Order: sequence, then structure tokens, then C-alpha cells
Amino acid sequence: MKIMRIKDVISDLQDFYILSSQGLLGVIRKPFYFKDTVEQMDYAGTGSLIIILLVSLFIGMALSLQLAAELSGLGFKMYIGRIVGISIIREIGPVMTALVYAGRVGSGVASELGSMVLGHQVDTLRVFGVDPIKKLVTPRLLSSLIMVPALTIIGDAASILGGYYIAVYVGLQSGAVYWSSIRDVFTYENIIVGASKPFVFGYLIACISCYTGLATKGGTLGLRRTTTKAVVVSFIMIIIADFLLTRILLYALGFSV
Amino acid sequence: MIEFDKVSFSYGTRKVLDDISFLIRKEERVAILGGSGEGKTTVLKLILGILRPDSGRILIEGEDITGKTEDELRETRMKFSIVFQEGALFDSLTVKENVAFCLREYTKLSEEEIDRKVRELLGTMGLEEAVEMMPEELSGGMHRRVAIARSLAAFEPKMFLYDEPTSGLDPINADMICRLILDLSKDGRGFIIVTHNVLDATKVANRFLFLKNGGTIFDGTQEELMHTPLPEIRTFLRGLRPSQLL
Repeated sequence: MKIMRIKDVISDLQDFYILSSQGLLGVIRKPFYFKDTVEQMDYAGTGSLIIILLVSLFIGMALSLQLAAELSGLGFKMYIGRIVGISIIREIGPVMTALVYAGRVGSGVASELGSMVLGHQVDTLRVFGVDPIKKLVTPRLLSSLIMVPALTIIGDAASILGGYYIAVYVGLQSGAVYWSSIRDVFTYENIIVGASKPFVFGYLIACISCYTGLATKGGTLGLRRTTTKAVVVSFIMIIIADFLLTRILLYALGFSV
Repeated sequence: MIEFDKVSFSYGTRKVLDDISFLIRKEERVAILGGSGEGKTTVLKLILGILRPDSGRILIEGEDITGKTEDELRETRMKFSIVFQEGALFDSLTVKENVAFCLREYTKLSEEEIDRKVRELLGTMGLEEAVEMMPEELSGGMHRRVAIARSLAAFEPKMFLYDEPTSGLDPINADMICRLILDLSKDGRGFIIVTHNVLDATKVANRFLFLKNGGTIFDGTQEELMHTPLPEIRTFLRGLRPSQLL
């Protein structure tokens, strides 16, 4: 029984590797489903925009509020902008956007593909000679690779604006000082750290959701398991990948930690 | 045309087909009967190479497909037209887009030509008014008819495969689908229909295979089916009226 389980895990990992690599290769191999990709980008990007804006804005505000409360007493209010900027650009922005994206888009992708499997639509594609990975996985993967970074940038901007509002109107800090601190944060290193993470997160979310969706078995109960699994595994992988990427990037960029 | 040679297949530890062998010629009208979970749909999926057998050989026109890759199987699959259970229409596409799917994928027809062909096909199915509808707006019978139209759109299949084409339909719609199935095989093209509805099977098929416990416990004509002493099949037939039994 234990051997069977180990074999299943190895087989799952092998299938995941094949799906994620074939999905990526689909971008350069013909046929490329442009219309499907644009539809996915619309669903994933435009559909998530308001949620990302709201979540990011309030996170920026909450962070700024915490810092204002803590730093005012110490006389370090001028650092609010700097700390908000670094936290958002390097860490909170990419991770929060990825978590929201996984919750909204990842779960949607997994349940959509799961329904297609259970309704024999994926089998139909194969019978029609259409590669389900190219038709279903590649557009979703490419969409995530474009939309997670784009949403992260928008989310970062919303968080910084939220932080500004609190720092200036609640923390009574000078707006010029806040923006000057934010400008100082836009260094090459911070941008590299903040901009590379969303690509990895987008790739992970798309691959995990597509894989769990296409591996759906067992009717509506199976579909429920699929959706839950896609979100939970994506969340865990985002957090683990975030730590590993932070470690690697900080080392590569010469930070002394 | 289709030969199963000692084919076995399992889902995990559950053996569905056990050393099963049969031969179906392309002009035959075959019904595969059996209870739920007896491997009826599995047989269709094995024919199309969607599933691979654990052991044994599946020969399509004398060619063993068991070791073929997805790309190699494409040609084999184009010999068949399949209508999956409940139609398996693409939810996100309209009826027109569903029927035009293969035309757009594999032909260089203009949009006008595609539109004309789609309307023509839907017309033969009595579905002219459904062209712009979404699958969720269709009734069960319309679903199956659109699926049949879609399967006919791009390829010239040598044989039709139907997976439970009448399940969940009212008698009028079920009868309409049966007549459609018969109409499509008027030119001599055969079909395999997988069903647990014996009445519908007897309306269209002239050879019957009955699956039970991983094997074929019956392979014969309608006459032989109706008079078989096998208790498993008698239980199946019990739902039919006496006039339908003979």
C-alpha cells in the first residue's frame, strides 16, 4: 500500500513536470491559440483588477497605520514611506497579489478544467486531434505570466497610495518626505526582487491549477476536492517559493544576509 | 475493422475488462450493453486511444494502436465520430461555434462558408433556431443533436461511436435520436452504441454485446438476445413490454 502511494506521488510529479514544461513550450509551438489567450487575460486580469486594487489599497493603509503608530513615538515618522515602499515592492505586493490571484483565478481555472474533464470535453478535444495542453494550459499559463506581474505593479501602486493617505492625513507626515522616501526605494535591486517574483508565482499558480483541474476524478465531490487542492497547494507553494526566491535574490544582489 | 485481442483494463485496483476479445466490422450496427461500471464507455475510450489497455492489443483496420503516441493516434481518431454522454459540448462556445470547431481548426474555409456549412448541418438536425444559443440553453435532446452535428462537421468518419446517446431523454427525444442514428448509417457506415437502455438499443442495432464482470457474456443478434436464458440479461430485459421482447 505504501509502495503504491509512493508510486502515485512520483507519477503525479512526473505528470506535473510534463504538463508545466509542455504548457510553456506551447507558447513557441504551433498552433498558438491567441484568442483563447486574450480571453484568459481578460478573465484573469480585468476580472481581478478591482479585488487587487481594494486589497492592496487597504494593506498599504494598514501597514502605514501600524508604522505611524510605532514610529511616531520614536520620532522616526520620516521612515514610514521607506518602510512601506520596501515592504510592498519586495514582499507584500507580489505575495498578496499572487494569493488573491490564486484564490480567484486559480480556483476558477481548476474548477473549469475539472468540469471539462468530467463532462468529456477534454476527451472530445483529443478525439478532434486538438492537444488539450496547447488549447487549455498554454493560454492560461501565458495569461498568468503576463497578468500576475501586471496586477502586482498596479497593486503596489495602490498600496503605496494607501500608505501615502495614512502617512499624510493620519500620521501628519509631509507628503514630499513620503514621496521622496518612495523614490529612494525604487532602486535597481528592489525592482529586480519585486519584479521577478510575480513571474514565478504566476507560473506556479497556472501550472498547479491546470494540473489539478485536468486530474479531476469522481464527480462533483472530486470537483470540490480539485478546487480546494488547487488553492491550498498554490498558497503553500507561493509562500515557500517566496522564501526561496528572497534568499536567492538577496544573495545574488549582494545583500549581506 | 475493430479488434480487441485479449484486452484487460483496470482503474487503479478495480479490473474493468479482463482478457476481452471481439471483432467488429465497420458496417456493423453494434450495441454494447451492460450495467453501470461494467466498462462500456471504457471500450469506446480504448478504441479511440484515450485510454490504454493494461495488456492485449487493439487493432483498428489491422493496425495495432496500443503503442501509438498522441500524434500518431490523431489519424486513427479521425476514422471515428464520437458523441459522448450528454453531448460534451464546449460550455464557453455557442452552438454555431461548437459545430464550427473542427472546421476552424482544420480547414481554411472562409467565415461565410463555415456559417453556411454549420447552418446546413444544424438544419438537417432540425436545429436552425439554436445557432446562436449557448449549450446551457439547450434541452437534453438538442444537446445530443448538436454533438452529432459537430462530430460530422469536419471529418468523414468511417464509423460512429455513441456513448449513452439517449440517457436522460424523454421517449420522444430518445426516439428522435435513435432515428437520427439510423439515418446516419443508411449509407452503410456502422456504429457502436453503448447504452443500458435495451429498448433503444433494439431500435437501432443488429448485434449485441453484453458486458459483465470484465468479459462479454453475450454476443449475438436481437433474436438471440430476446431468447437468451442468461439471468443477467433476463433481468435487463424485464423492463421491456412482452410485445417488445419479440
